Amino acid sequence: MSEPIAILPPQTLRVGTAGFAIGIAIVAVIAAAAVVGNSLVPYDPFTQDLGNRLKPPFWMEGSEAGHLLGTDQLGRDYLARLVYGARISLLIGIMTVITSGLIGITLGILGGFFGGRVDDFVLFAITTRLSIPVVLVALAVVGLMGSGLGLVVATLGLLLWDRFAVVARATTMQVRNHDYVSAAWCAGASMPHLLIKEILPNIASHLAVVATLEMALAILLEAALSFLGLGVPPPLPSWGLMIAEGKDYMFFSPWVIMIPGVALFVLVLGINLVGDGLRNLLGSERLR
Amino acid sequence: MRRQTRLGAAILTAVLLGAGAVPAAAQKSADTLRIVMRDALPNVDPYYNNLRTGVVMHHQGWDALVYRNPDTFKLEPLLATEWKLPDATTIEFTLRPGVKFHDGSAFTADDVVYTINLIADPASRLSTPSNYNWLEKAEKTGDLSVRVKLKRPNPAALEYFALVIPIYPKAYREKVGAEGYAKAPVGAGPYKMTKVEPGVSIDFERFEDYWAGSPKGKAAIKKMSVRFVPDAATEMTELLAGRADWIWNMNPDQIDPVNRMPHLQAVRKESMRIGYLSLDAAARTGADNPMTKLKVRQAIWYAIDRKAIAEKLVTGGSRVPSAPCIPSQFGCDGEVAATYDYNPAKAKQLLTEAGYPDGFDVELASYVLPQWGSAVQNYLHAVGIRAKLNQLQTAALIQRAKAGELRAYLGSWGSYSINDVSAILPNFFDGGADDYARDPDVQQWLVQGGSSISPEVRKEAYSAAIKKITEQAYWAPLHTYVTTYGHARQLDFTPYPDELPRFYLAKWK
Repeated sequence: MSEPIAILPPQTLRVGTAGFAIGIAIVAVIAAAAVVGNSLVPYDPFTQDLGNRLKPPFWMEGSEAGHLLGTDQLGRDYLARLVYGARISLLIGIMTVITSGLIGITLGILGGFFGGRVDDFVLFAITTRLSIPVVLVALAVVGLMGSGLGLVVATLGLLLWDRFAVVARATTMQVRNHDYVSAAWCAGASMPHLLIKEILPNIASHLAVVATLEMALAILLEAALSFLGLGVPPPLPSWGLMIAEGKDYMFFSPWVIMIPGVALFVLVLGINLVGDGLRNLLGSERLR
Repeated sequence: MRRQTRLGAAILTAVLLGAGAVPAAAQKSADTLRIVMRDALPNVDPYYNNLRTGVVMHHQGWDALVYRNPDTFKLEPLLATEWKLPDATTIEFTLRPGVKFHDGSAFTADDVVYTINLIADPASRLSTPSNYNWLEKAEKTGDLSVRVKLKRPNPAALEYFALVIPIYPKAYREKVGAEGYAKAPVGAGPYKMTKVEPGVSIDFERFEDYWAGSPKGKAAIKKMSVRFVPDAATEMTELLAGRADWIWNMNPDQIDPVNRMPHLQAVRKESMRIGYLSLDAAARTGADNPMTKLKVRQAIWYAIDRKAIAEKLVTGGSRVPSAPCIPSQFGCDGEVAATYDYNPAKAKQLLTEAGYPDGFDVELASYVLPQWGSAVQNYLHAVGIRAKLNQLQTAALIQRAKAGELRAYLGSWGSYSINDVSAILPNFFDGGADDYARDPDVQQWLVQGGSSISPEVRKEAYSAAIKKITEQAYWAPLHTYVTTYGHARQLDFTPYPDELPRFYLAKWK
C-alpha cells in the first residue's frame, strides 16, 4: 500500500501517549477493584443496616470511619456496592464485546472477502440492524422475558455488532487483494485458513479500536437500561441502578448519585482513552 | 451537616436554573392551590376507584349525609339534619332543605334513594364492595326524609355514611350516564369540579352556592388544580421548583431538608393506614406455589425486620401492628395475634423444612415508596427468597391484584379512615377479589362480626379471625403509616389523623 507518510507532531504524540497511559491506569485500577475489591472492603454489598442509613462519604461532615464512601438509603456500604458494580459493568462490557465481536467480525469478513451475493446479504443485515432502535428493542425484550444479567448481555451483544461488521468488511476489502493473501491462496491454503490466519490478523488492530468503543457503549447502555429498571435487577449493585435508586435523594443527599455517576464517567473515559491510544499506537506501527 | 446542606442547595439552584424556573412564591396572587399527587385517578367517581386520592377528591367535591368531626371523631349532621335508628337494621334520615348541587338542582330525598339503591345493587360493580354490601335499599318517606334498610346490623354504619357514601344528583347522573358522570362529575361539596382529565389532572373551583352553616365551611381558596405525576422524585422536584404548593406521602427522609427551605414546610401526622405484604396462600397464581405452604409464609414473616422498617425507615412514631388492622380500630385485638419477631435463622430453617433449602424466585410487586420495597426485598434475599421487585403505579397494581395475578405484593390500606375492623378485614378476607387467603373459617367469623350489634359477639368473632389469620401468616401487617405533607409556607394547612386533607379548610397566610 502506498500511503503518504504522515509525521505526527511530537507534541500530539506525547499527549496521545499520556492519554493512553492514563486510560490504561484507569482501566487497570477499576479492573483490579472489580476482581479483588470486594475482599478488601470489609462490608458486604448486599447487607442492609437500616440503623445506619445515608451516611455521607469521608470528605463530608457526619461521615463514619468504616464507610469510606458512606452508605445508601438502606444502609448498605457504598464502596462495597461501587466495587461490586465495577465487576458488573466490566463483565457486561467484555461479554457484550465478545458476543457482538463474534457476530460482527464473522459477517464483516465474509461480506468483505467474498463480495457479490454474500456481501449484499451482509449489507442488508447491517442496514436492518442500524434501523432498529436499541433501547426500544431492549424494552420489548425485557417486557417479554423479564430482566436479568444474562439477558442484558445477550440483548446488547445481539444489537451492537454493526460497527464490527462495517469495519471488518471495509478493512477486509482492503487487504483481500494483497499479495500475501494471493500467495497463500496459490499455495493451496484452505478458506478457513485464509480468513482466520491471513485476513483476521491484518485487520485486528482496527477491530481492537472498535472493541474499546463498543465496550464503552455497552457499559453506558447497561447503565441506562438499569436506570430505567430494564437492565440488571436489584439488589445487584449496577451503577445505573445505583443512580436510579438514589434519584429520590438527589436534592438533599447528592453524593448518592454523584459517586456512581463519576465512576461511570471515569470508566468510560478510561476505556475511550485506551481506544484512542490503541489507534495511535497501531496506526503508527503500521507506518513503520 | 451544614456543608451537606449547602451542597444540596447549590445543586438545587442549578436544577432550578436549568429548568428555567425560579422558586416562585405560592400561587397566592392567582388564588390557586396547585396540588401534585402520584396515585393517578383513572376514574374520579368516588364509588369507582379505591385509591386514597379518590377519597380525598370526593370529600372536596361531594357531601355525604353525615360528617365526622376530624378533631373529635364525633358524627355531626351534614346533608342530613338528624337521624334515628328505630331498630338494628333501619336508619331514618331527615334531610337538609335548601341545599344545591353544583349544577344548580336542589338536593332532595330522590337523590339519596337513587344513590343508596345504586350502591346496594351488586350489579353496579363498585370498586370496594365490602364497604356497601350491608346496605339493602332506601325508600323515600317524604320530600326530605329517607328510610334506609340494612341487610344486617352494622354498628359502624354511620361512619360509612360519613366517609364513603357521597350523594349523587339523580337527575344529572341519569341524564349523562355513568361514563358522562365520570368525565364531568357533579356533587354538593364545597368545591365543584370544572375539568377532569382521567389520570392526568382535575381542576376545582369554589362552589359559591355551597350551603351556609356547613361544618365543612365555605372554601377560602378560590381555585384548586390537582395534577398527577409518576413518581416521588418528580413530585419533590415540582415542590422544590415552586410548581406545586402541596404534596403528600413524600419520603420521610426529606422532612428535615424541606423544612430548611425558606419557602417550604414539611409536617407529618400519624394516620390510620398500614403497610402490608400480601401472600398468595390461596394458590390463585398457580397451584402448589411456595406461598401456599404455611412454613414458607411464616418464614417470610420471620425474615422481615418490621420493627427496623417502622422505626428506621418510616419513622415519626410508626409502629408494627401485631394484628392485621390498625390498633385503634374496634375489634383489632393484638393480644390474640401470633407474633413473629425478626429471626432470619428461624426463617431459613422453616424454608428448609418446607422443602426450599435453596429458596425460590418470586415476583414482589409494590406501589409503596421504592426504598421501602427494596428493604423488604433485601430481607427476603437474606434468607434465600429471590424476590424480584416490580414497582407499579397504584391503580395498575390493584388491577392485577384483583385479577389474582400477584403471588406477593406490598401495598397499604387506610380503611377509609373508619375506626372499625369491618373496614379492613372483610376487604382482604371475605372471599372477594382482594382475598388471597380464601379461608372459609375466617370468612364465617367476619360475617358473624359484621352482622351483630353486640360488642362482645363482634369482638369474639374478630379475635378468632385475627388469631387464625396471624397463625396462618396469610397477610403480613408491616407498619403503621405516618403521613408526610410538604407544602408552601404561605399555605395555612392542617393535617388530621384521618388522612383526609381538607383543602376547603386551607387558606393563604
